[in-house]
Amino acid sequence: MTTRAIRRWFVVHKWTSLVCTLFLLIVCATGLPLLFSEQIWETFVGDDDPPYEVLPPGTPNASLDTIVNKARALYPGQIVTNVSPDDDEPAVLVSMAPSWQALKDDDKYPDRHSGHWIKFDARTAKVLKQSRPADAPEEPRTWTGIIMGICTRLHVSLFAYLPGRLFLGLMGGVFVASLVSGMVLYGRFMKRLPFGSVRRDRASRLTWLDLHNLLGAVTLVWATVVGFTGLVNELQTPLFGLWRVTDVRQILKPYADLHVPAQDHLSSVQAAFDTAAKAAPGNEVTGLSFPGASFGSPVHYVLWTRGATPLRARLFTPVLVDARTGELTGAYPMPWYLRFLEISRPLHFGDYGGMPLRILWALLDVVVIFVLVSGLVLWVAKRKIATDARLRALGYDLDDTDRVMPAGSALAHLEARR
Amino acid sequence: MNAVSAEMPLPSSPDPTPRAPVAVWPWPIALGVLTVFGLLSALLGQHGVWLALSWAALSVPLIVTVICLVRAWCRRPSAKGGHS
Repeated sequence: MTTRAIRRWFVVHKWTSLVCTLFLLIVCATGLPLLFSEQIWETFVGDDDPPYEVLPPGTPNASLDTIVNKARALYPGQIVTNVSPDDDEPAVLVSMAPSWQALKDDDKYPDRHSGHWIKFDARTAKVLKQSRPADAPEEPRTWTGIIMGICTRLHVSLFAYLPGRLFLGLMGGVFVASLVSGMVLYGRFMKRLPFGSVRRDRASRLTWLDLHNLLGAVTLVWATVVGFTGLVNELQTPLFGLWRVTDVRQILKPYADLHVPAQDHLSSVQAAFDTAAKAAPGNEVTGLSFPGASFGSPVHYVLWTRGATPLRARLFTPVLVDARTGELTGAYPMPWYLRFLEISRPLHFGDYGGMPLRILWALLDVVVIFVLVSGLVLWVAKRKIATDARLRALGYDLDDTDRVMPAGSALAHLEARR
Repeated sequence: MNAVSAEMPLPSSPDPTPRAPVAVWPWPIALGVLTVFGLLSALLGQHGVWLALSWAALSVPLIVTVICLVRAWCRRPSAKGGHS
């Protein structure tokens, strides 16, 4: 490789790193508590739900129709919006609202939530819990809630919603570029050094450089994977939007102008779950939205099914069941770009291999923080050298006390002397 | 970062001090392959053995790091200096 090529790679590495380091430090630091959010919630907040009734193993679940009817009886005149069996508890969550229009109008009033939910025991169909009534005083926020909320929003969008997401996605891309250029420089630089050597008997900057190289080389692949999958995750809003205006619109076109039928004339919810399970073999049905839901069809139950293995657990396949007749309309596997997004999620979250994997994720994350910090230290040190050289060129005599001064104050000092 | 250009005299001509070049890539490649294996084995395998293999594979880069750091901080100065 020619000197010029190396210089170019070096410039690429310097600038890509400088651009993304601050944001990556934020993302790495806030990612740590998110990695253990389940445990943190359990430890500091816990849930005050009553324990489940102990029933003989193998007790069959109640029909979802029974549960939906009970919910309707509790709130006559309201509509059911969603039915979602819980993933790991024997519970079914039924969401309700005064009307679809009321839900839509919520957008206009920031503090209004017309939707509410009821949690049923899946086996006995007894009510376990209900959401806080809209007019009840707000529960005080816990510190855990506040801190975790801040971490999540910083990590995902820097408190800037969609623009923040896209910006962080861009930073993810810049980070990958910095990793690639860093790898090229590593190859050039390590020609005379055995792997893993950290020189401690020379300038401290060399120690930092060796540490930067060692830690960077060790975490390179992990950081690339997590950085790239993070970038893909930040693109989820536009990717889902793309799907909505292409495939979804196409599928729903024949039904777009139909009226939403009254809910007491709809076909069985339980039968719709069974139909969907058959239509997407190997998948489990995780929820159903009623006809009329936003982005859905006016006359179909939309059932969300997902794969049963970790790889496919985040691969959702929607199934449409005609709510007037109970007949299957079709299962619609997602387009490749959404499948790619959904496979990239576990690889970003590290939540697919139990607690040991989370701990490894956290440790690797800490090592990456060290890589970022050592990179910054090297850059600052070099800037100081450059400033010193400039000062010497100006004929300013640098003694040792000046050398430990930050570059800015040394310059200020110089100005003062003049 | 910048130290690279300062410290490493960018060689356009052959290096005057004849220091034997070392193989740069075997270690990073091995660690990278282990990382990929660790990431995928838990994702695709999902059962006991594959999970354990994943944990083991992903631990290796961290263990190697710790060994390198311990070596650097505990050895006598004679063993360092880039090349003996």
